[in-house]
Amino acid sequence: MHGRAGRTGLIAFDRKAPGLTGIAVRGFLLSLITFGIYRFWYITELRRFFWSRTLIDGSPAEYTGRGKELFLGFLVALAILIPLYIAIFVASISVPALAPFAGALSFPILFVLGQFALYRGRRYRASRTFWRGIRLGQDGSGIAYALMAAGWWLLTLLTFGLAFPFMRASLERYRIDHTLVGSSRMSSTATGRSILGPWLLFYSVALLPVILSLAVAFAGLGFAIPEDLLVERGSRTILNPAYDSVTKTAIGFSVVGALGFGTVAGVLLIPFYRARETKAFMNAASLGPARLASTLRAGQFYWPYLVYFLSLIGFVLLILVIAVLLGGGLHLAGSQSGMHIAIALGTIVLYLGGALLVAVLHVRLIQARLWEAVATTTVIDDADGLDAVLASSRAQASGLNEGMADALDLGGAIEIGL
Amino acid sequence: MAASQASGTYFDGLTARPHPVTLRLTDRLEIVGRDISVAWDLADIVAGETPPPLMRLSVVGESARIEFTDEVFARAVFVLCPDLYRPEARDAGGRWRLVLWSVAAGLSVLLVAIYGVPALAVRLAPLVPDAIESRLGAAVDGQIVNILGDPPACNDAPAQAVLDRLVARMIQGRGLPSDLRLTVRRHAMANALTLPGGRVIVLSNLIAQAQNADEFAAILAHEFGHVVARDPTRSLIQATGSSFLLSLVLGDLTGSTIIVALGQAAVSAGYSRDAERTADDYAVTMMEAAGGDAFALATMLERIAKDDAKDGAKDGSKRNLTNFLRSHPFTAERAARIRALASPGSAGRRILPDEDWAVLKRICTKAAPATEP
Repeated sequence: MHGRAGRTGLIAFDRKAPGLTGIAVRGFLLSLITFGIYRFWYITELRRFFWSRTLIDGSPAEYTGRGKELFLGFLVALAILIPLYIAIFVASISVPALAPFAGALSFPILFVLGQFALYRGRRYRASRTFWRGIRLGQDGSGIAYALMAAGWWLLTLLTFGLAFPFMRASLERYRIDHTLVGSSRMSSTATGRSILGPWLLFYSVALLPVILSLAVAFAGLGFAIPEDLLVERGSRTILNPAYDSVTKTAIGFSVVGALGFGTVAGVLLIPFYRARETKAFMNAASLGPARLASTLRAGQFYWPYLVYFLSLIGFVLLILVIAVLLGGGLHLAGSQSGMHIAIALGTIVLYLGGALLVAVLHVRLIQARLWEAVATTTVIDDADGLDAVLASSRAQASGLNEGMADALDLGGAIEIGL
Repeated sequence: MAASQASGTYFDGLTARPHPVTLRLTDRLEIVGRDISVAWDLADIVAGETPPPLMRLSVVGESARIEFTDEVFARAVFVLCPDLYRPEARDAGGRWRLVLWSVAAGLSVLLVAIYGVPALAVRLAPLVPDAIESRLGAAVDGQIVNILGDPPACNDAPAQAVLDRLVARMIQGRGLPSDLRLTVRRHAMANALTLPGGRVIVLSNLIAQAQNADEFAAILAHEFGHVVARDPTRSLIQATGSSFLLSLVLGDLTGSTIIVALGQAAVSAGYSRDAERTADDYAVTMMEAAGGDAFALATMLERIAKDDAKDGAKDGSKRNLTNFLRSHPFTAERAARIRALASPGSAGRRILPDEDWAVLKRICTKAAPATEP
């Protein structure tokens, strides 16, 4: 037994985040007028902000990535994806039998590619991160990670979602075990068992009723996929009366009810699960003798989400009211085209204003508040162990693969957690 | 004047170990601590982004860092180090250049999508090999039928025989593709579609709306005009290219947009007015050569325009309004042009005897589903 109790290092983040709103407003507006091209520089600016405001044991992190690198990566991704899309398109035209499966065919390819891009994107972010002048890094193979993720997802589907926490833990271990601070390797002891409880709660409330009711309905249909469930009657699409014995009975209603209930319960329980998972994974991470310890509570995840969703609902209601008023306005205006143009312009301005509001709220509430919740509830046990971290002379990773994640719409500017 | 001085933390860039040091600002920045004595040139010092009052300094290109929170010292550093915020200043200047160039790039892609792609499509369409075009046609055909809600094909045998004879007479010696495929489908829309690879779909309500065989035949002749000009292939290339470019600019690079656009382009038959005029001209020539009434197309167009106008006036619902806007006044203009082109001798001629037309009108009797009122 060591007699010495390790010093505890704190992780700090200023919740008020002064200057963040300006970055978000400018980033949104410039992305808008540049047809989205500015988003790479916006993401970079956001990261610089979040990194530099996060003080780990008193020293702020440093992000040295450039928007140019992400943009270049995006162009390279286009060079890879465009031929791929064209190949899929040509294949579905030249082999007509293949056409209905084009979507099913392209999905696995794009999925594996997406996982690969996510992993390599993380490598890029790590290699652009400094702490106390020491560069972070990530090794391991993007291909191995992508195949592993694909295999785990397959297993998760086959087990109706029960393997999900084990997949999360396995991928987390791979990511953390291949993360380096200087030449010191991080390690994770994350296990699926540690998040099995929260997952089972989420699963049994949000997913299980849906899965069960679908299974019962499936059995009621004689274990055949009802391709003609929806049929045309004149101009309306209705449920096929041939399935009345299933759809018009308690089974049909229970499917609809379970879907509705599952959606609501899922939305309500996702912050809970995410908070518990983040806490478990944080607690499992260590760098040499220094260990992370998290006291994150689910409530700290709920509040930002609640405020954000309430503002979204408020915004949608506002839009609906405006739409109704506009409808009335159009009716009254009759054929006066000047009025039409004024109304159309007003709609566009309102819409853009609303979108700007949502974008800023997302950055300030979801990203900043969740980031703050995770950062400030995490401490470093035995922080003196960090002193032993040595710089390494690794070359920095290229930003090309993060561009791929962006082209596949996977690019999360800020990921909460490690 | 006493030199500014503060205490701070030095990181040597090799390990993460913090070294408490004293910082002294003279003509250089002196960093002194236990086992440490370093001096940095003021011109080389840059400041990192940090939350105030914390400040982090480093020398360009090196990994050693100092951190301190003394605000008085920070001001002194700010005054004495000329290039402290050089990277940020460079970024701000680059931002406007970046914005200008990306706006220019976006506009350029937009212009290419609007003007360049159609011009390209006109030249590419004739180059598409027949085999590929007919495969394309089969793919689009399946999709269209799906979008229309799987309308049953009409093939009442006597009526089909009349139709086959009529088509054979119309296309005789006109060099239409040998695999011309005309199908009639039962549908409440009065419309005819031409797809790539010489496929023409006639929706049954069009036959019901036609007041005589010549009106029906004139519509067919117009569609054959599109077949000869390869308009469907051209419009497919155009729609695919444009939507691909646009989705690229808008950052949405999912293949699905393209596939959807393919179907939409074919359904809305978004041909240009020039293409419609050319097909009208072709129809007039074909009708005259086949011994029909070359004015019939104009009569039909005028009736559609009048009906649409009436509907548009009756209830201002959106669908009728757009219909009205689309067909009027262009339809009237087309009709006038057809009347000017047609030779007066053809007026009133009948392309089919009345009894054959009566048989042809019954082409959908057998395929009728029982549910339609």
